[in-house]
Amino acid sequence: MGLLKTNMLIFTLRRFSLFFFTMWLLTILSFSLSFLFPGEQLINLTGEINASPEQLAVLANEYQQQANLLTQYFSYVSHLFHGDMGYSMTSHLPIMTEIINRLPATVELTCVALLVAMFFGIPIGFCAAIYHRKAPDNFILAIAMIGYSIPVFWLGILAILVFSVQLGWLPSAGQISLLFEIKHVTGLQLVDILLSDSEYKWQAFQDATRHLILPVIVVALAPATIFMRLARTAMLEVLDTHYIKAAKAKGLTFSQIIYRHAMRNAVIKVIRDVGLQFAHLITIAMVTEVIFSWPGIGRWLIESIYQRDYTAIQGGLIVLSTFIFIVHIIIDFVYAALNPLAREPNHGT
Amino acid sequence: MARDKIYLEEEFPTPLMQLWHNFKQPPVVMIGFGCFLFLIALALLASVITPYSSVENHLDHLLLPPAWSDEGNVSFLLGTDNLGRDMLSRLMHGTSLTFGLSIIVVMASLVIGVIIGSLSALTSGIKSSILNHFLDVILSIPSLLLAIIIVAILGPGLENTLWAIIMVLIPQFVHITRNAVKEEFAKDYVLASRLDGASSIRILWYSIFPNIIEKLISQATLAQSTAILEIAALGFLGLGAPIPMPEWGAMLANGIDLFYIAPWTVYLPGLAILFSVIATNLVGEGMRHALKVRKEN
Repeated sequence: MGLLKTNMLIFTLRRFSLFFFTMWLLTILSFSLSFLFPGEQLINLTGEINASPEQLAVLANEYQQQANLLTQYFSYVSHLFHGDMGYSMTSHLPIMTEIINRLPATVELTCVALLVAMFFGIPIGFCAAIYHRKAPDNFILAIAMIGYSIPVFWLGILAILVFSVQLGWLPSAGQISLLFEIKHVTGLQLVDILLSDSEYKWQAFQDATRHLILPVIVVALAPATIFMRLARTAMLEVLDTHYIKAAKAKGLTFSQIIYRHAMRNAVIKVIRDVGLQFAHLITIAMVTEVIFSWPGIGRWLIESIYQRDYTAIQGGLIVLSTFIFIVHIIIDFVYAALNPLAREPNHGT
Repeated sequence: MARDKIYLEEEFPTPLMQLWHNFKQPPVVMIGFGCFLFLIALALLASVITPYSSVENHLDHLLLPPAWSDEGNVSFLLGTDNLGRDMLSRLMHGTSLTFGLSIIVVMASLVIGVIIGSLSALTSGIKSSILNHFLDVILSIPSLLLAIIIVAILGPGLENTLWAIIMVLIPQFVHITRNAVKEEFAKDYVLASRLDGASSIRILWYSIFPNIIEKLISQATLAQSTAILEIAALGFLGLGAPIPMPEWGAMLANGIDLFYIAPWTVYLPGLAILFSVIATNLVGEGMRHALKVRKEN
C-alpha cells in the first residue's frame, strides 16, 4: 500500500510539473500576443481603449511598462493570478466576468458531448472488432469514415433544417427557452435548474435537455467515430494477446472472454487517447456554438475576432487551453487509476 | 516457350514502389485515389473547362434549381445562386481554391516541418527536451483556435488564412519527422554509413529520408483533410475567403440565408467538401494500410 501511494505521488507530481510548464508557456504566448496584435501593447493587454492619458499612465505603472520585459511579464502574470485579465474592448466588462458567464455553457456542451461520444463510440468500435473483416465491421468503418470527414458547420445546418424546421422536433438555437427564469448559481444550466426551487423545474429541465440534444449530437459525431476506430484497434490488439489465447485454451466462452478480459483492457487503451481527442472536440464545439447560438466561450471568441477585441482573444486562449489541459490531466488520472501499469512502470514488464 | 529473362535478376523495389504495390491492393482505396486525381485535375483545369466564370451574373436566371428538377434549365446543370451565378462553375472554381490550396498549404508546412524536425532530431539534451514540451503544448491547443489567433494577428482574408493554417500544421510534421528520424538513426544501416564516414546531413538525405517518406506522406494526407476542413470552416465563419470568392466554405455561408428557398446552394458546397475530404481520407487510409502490410512482412 505504501509503495502504491508513493508511486501515485510521483505520478501526481510529474503531471503537475508538466501542467505548470505548460501554463508557463501559455502565459508567455498570451503575453507576446499583446505585442503581435495590431495597436498599442498596453491597450491590447488591458483593453482600456477609451482611457485618458492619466489613466494610461497609471496602468503603465501598474503593468511596470518602464521596466524590462521580464518584469513586465511577471506583472502580467501576477495580474492573471489575481483574476484580472483586463477589460473587453467591446462590452467594457472585465474579461473575467465575461468568461465566468460563458465558460459553463461550453463546459456543459463539451463534457456531455464527450460522454455521449464515448458511450456510443467505444461499444460500436468493440462490435466492429468482434466482427473483424465481416459485413458489420465494413459497415461501421464506412460510417466512421463519413463521420469524421463531414464538415461540422454543414452537419449543424442540416440538423437544424431536418430536426427543427422540417420535423419541428427540437429547438434550433440557444440554451433554454426565454420563458424560464433560472438563477445563475454554478452556470451549468442543468445543475442550476435542479438546484432552483421554481415550480416549473421539470418543464425547464426538459426544455434545457431538448435544447442540448442537437448541438451535442453535432459535436459528438466526429469524436464518436474516432473513438470507434480507436476502440476497434485496441480490441483487435487485445484479442491478439497471449492472455486471451490462454483464456480460450482454458475453455472460456467467447462472451466470457470479451466481457471479463478483453473489454476492460481495451477500454483502458482507448481512455489513454481521450485527452488528445478532447482538443479536437473543442474545435468542433466552437463552430457548433456559432451555428446553434449557444452562449458559450467559442462563439464569444469568434465574435471578438469580428470586433477586433484583442483582450478577449488573449483571455479566451488562456481559459480554453487551461480547460483542455485540466481535462487532459483528469483523464490521465482516470487512466492511472484504472491501469496499474501506468502507475508502476517498474513492475510492468 | 520464349523466355524474356535469361538471367534471374533480383529486384529491390524502392520504398516508394513497395508502398505503391501495397497501396493499390484494396479496391476502395483505388476508388478514393481516382477521386483524388479527379479533384487535382479539376483544380488545375477549372478555369479552362468551366462553362461560365465564377462571378458572371445571369440576372434572368436567379435561384434556378438544378437541372433535374422541373423548373431547372440544362444550361445551368446545378442551378444558380441568388445573384444568378452558375453553381457548377463556382463549385469547379472552388476546387482549385479549397482543394488546390489545401495541397499547397500541406506541401509548405511539410517542407518547413521536415526541416525543423530533422534538425531537432540531431540535437539532444535540454534544447531538445524544451522543444519537445513546446510541441506538446502547441499540439494540445485546438487547431482552429490557433488559426483564429493567427488570423486575428494578420487580419482576415484568404491569404492570411493560408499562412495561419500552414503555421498550425507545422508542429505535426515536426513531431512526426523528429520521431521517425530518431527511430531510424538508432538502426544498424545508419551506423554502417556512419562508420563509412558519412556526415549527419548526408545520412539524413541518402539513408533516412527515403525510408521515412511514406510516414510523411501518410501524415500529409491527414493534414490535408484537416486543411480542407479548416479553410472551409474559416471561410464559413467569414474569417477566410471573402464572400464573392467561390471558396466552398464561403459559398456555404452565402447560401445559409437562402436555405429554405434554395437548399441546393447549401447542399452542393457541403457535398463538395465532404467528397474531397473522403477522397483524401481514403488515400490516407490506403497509405496507412500499405505501411502496416509492409511492416508485417
